[in-house]
Amino acid sequence: MSDNYKFDTLSLHAGHIPDKETGSRAVPIYQTTSYVFKDTEEAAALYNMEVGGHLYSRISNPTVSALEQRIAALEGGTSAIACSSGMAAMHLVVTALCSSGDHIVASSKMYGANINLLQHTMPRFGVETDFVNPNDPEAIEKAIKPNTKMVFGEVIGNPGLDIMDVPVVAEICKKNRVPLVLDATFNTPFLMQPFNYGANIVIHSLTKWLGGHGIAIGGAIVNGGNFDWGDKEKFPTISGPHFALGGISFWEEFGPSALTAKIRAEGMYNFGPSLSPTNAFYLMQGIETLPLRMKKHMENTHEILTYLKDHEAVEWVKHPDLETHPDHEVAKKILPKGSGSIIVFGIKGGRKAGQIFIESVQLASHLANVGDAKTLLIHPGSTTHSHLSSEAMKEAGLTDDMIRLSVGLEDIDDIKKDFEKGFRAAKKLIK
Amino acid sequence: MFINFKGAKTYVGTGGKNLETNKTTICFIHGSGQNHLSFVQQARYFAYKGYSVIVPDMPGHGFSDGNPCRSIKENAEWIYDLLKELKAKDIVFVGHSQGCLVGLELNKIYPELLKGIIFVAGSNTISVNQFLLDLASSNPKKAYKMMVTWGHGKDGAMSIASWPGHSYFGEGFNVMNMNIEDALKLDLEACNEYQDGEDASKKINIPALAVLAQYDQMTPLKSGKKFVDIINNCESHILDCGHFLQAERPKELNLIISSYLDKLENIEII
Repeated sequence: MSDNYKFDTLSLHAGHIPDKETGSRAVPIYQTTSYVFKDTEEAAALYNMEVGGHLYSRISNPTVSALEQRIAALEGGTSAIACSSGMAAMHLVVTALCSSGDHIVASSKMYGANINLLQHTMPRFGVETDFVNPNDPEAIEKAIKPNTKMVFGEVIGNPGLDIMDVPVVAEICKKNRVPLVLDATFNTPFLMQPFNYGANIVIHSLTKWLGGHGIAIGGAIVNGGNFDWGDKEKFPTISGPHFALGGISFWEEFGPSALTAKIRAEGMYNFGPSLSPTNAFYLMQGIETLPLRMKKHMENTHEILTYLKDHEAVEWVKHPDLETHPDHEVAKKILPKGSGSIIVFGIKGGRKAGQIFIESVQLASHLANVGDAKTLLIHPGSTTHSHLSSEAMKEAGLTDDMIRLSVGLEDIDDIKKDFEKGFRAAKKLIK
Repeated sequence: MFINFKGAKTYVGTGGKNLETNKTTICFIHGSGQNHLSFVQQARYFAYKGYSVIVPDMPGHGFSDGNPCRSIKENAEWIYDLLKELKAKDIVFVGHSQGCLVGLELNKIYPELLKGIIFVAGSNTISVNQFLLDLASSNPKKAYKMMVTWGHGKDGAMSIASWPGHSYFGEGFNVMNMNIEDALKLDLEACNEYQDGEDASKKINIPALAVLAQYDQMTPLKSGKKFVDIINNCESHILDCGHFLQAERPKELNLIISSYLDKLENIEII
């Protein structure tokens, strides 16, 4: 008998039932490169994509597959592919859909590596991108051309925390027959499932909240299965004949799972950005507690917002759950459980004060990651963007005094105490 | 492949191989609210084994235009015409769920047409509960979700699939969502109204195979067993899964069908 299991249950169980032979309750780590074929017939069936199964771990692996199926279930997608990082996931989607001469419309306010890939790397291969304000649906629609193969953005922008009005943008994409691809790393499926709002493809950096413990790098592509790839001229890579497998049309043979089949058969096969089974296991351990962690992340985030917004050492605080955030209304609409656990704030005293604050806190870790169970901080003005002038920082949407905080799961009083140390040190120096 | 059939664009899957109707042809017919993707793990498998495979999207389903057939008899006549159009010979019919009723009717009307018949998760009568019938009319998307939930066993519910990375709940919903909105309602009504199943079952005089699902909530095992008992010369198997057994147990089903096809060839030799 089948049940429609809820999110918390799927976080723990999806993708695995106890192993029939050994009874193993946990997902076994299949640390193997390859799989013995029963006979040549079985080998041929796997190579020809006649039936599902595993050939070689660059393409798929049972442990990685359990992770993929868990993520697909949590997002409500048809299928997922896990890969070596969030950036690998993005690259796989771009290369699955675009060829030389194609075009992408992308948010101008997203993670630097996403922008780098589209602005500097892909043009070398003949794929051009127009960057537009993700909060300006009219500009998004105007930027779509006949050769546009995808609209790409982040649900919650990194690091500016802009919120894309997903249902509005999805409607524009649907009208123009272009898939909406969203990086949903900052929200995770716990806070928002983009397919429910009309998105077509979701990518994740699993390294962040889904994994949640800062121990493994990984990424995933989730296929919503809700896009019509039937226009062979517009989407020849999905609905036209593939160079192998007897000229297969992924769209005709696999329908809603066509994109996944394409990425598995070409991207994973030819580029090889596979996820190690051991890292897949670590990431799954994280997902088991995703609902619990996200609830606590949001609780602590809201406490810290209250603390920072009234703090004398703080110049400004930005988070979509604050009424002062320009996208607050959109956030309330699509992220009712909260807009994630990243806060950006400005410290009084500018760049120098930011540097002192970061160096003086002891509990929060100064590093270049987000979404760990532990509280993390970075001051772009003295680290990632230290080579930029104040003016150049402003152009990049950053300021000298800005600190990016990834709120962790520690006792809230301890986080506040730790911050007090940082604020005191910064204040003393500035005086 | 896409063909123009009866004035409508019609999709007929061939399992990734060109149609060669000088070989034994396996014709797969999907169930209510489904389309050719129901048999995604059978079509390529048997086409690559050297059979000629025909797996159409019935009118208004999947990639096929047109209005869905309104009765099981109309479905059977449409398939008969399609098989003639494609010049198919030595036909083995495989139906899933509603497709089993269509196969029964096809064999009843054209007793010389088929050389073998396979029933997957089927019965000779499929009465549909009023709640699902009403929902298919008032809120088809909700009905898809309900059918996908009822249609899978514990593996499907836990997003476990032999196809790496796949989740049958998400996939099942989107397969059904490819059809025109009326398709499910009309299919379910056709099933509900079909009364000739018992008579048609008794008229089967070709080797038959029935593969039933232990945890089938759409065509319960009890009904499937009763059906099998009526048929002369019917080999039967039960797999531990839900109604969509071709998705949940593809390898097992393919092996059972392969073995049946081998026996069928041997019968001819004798």
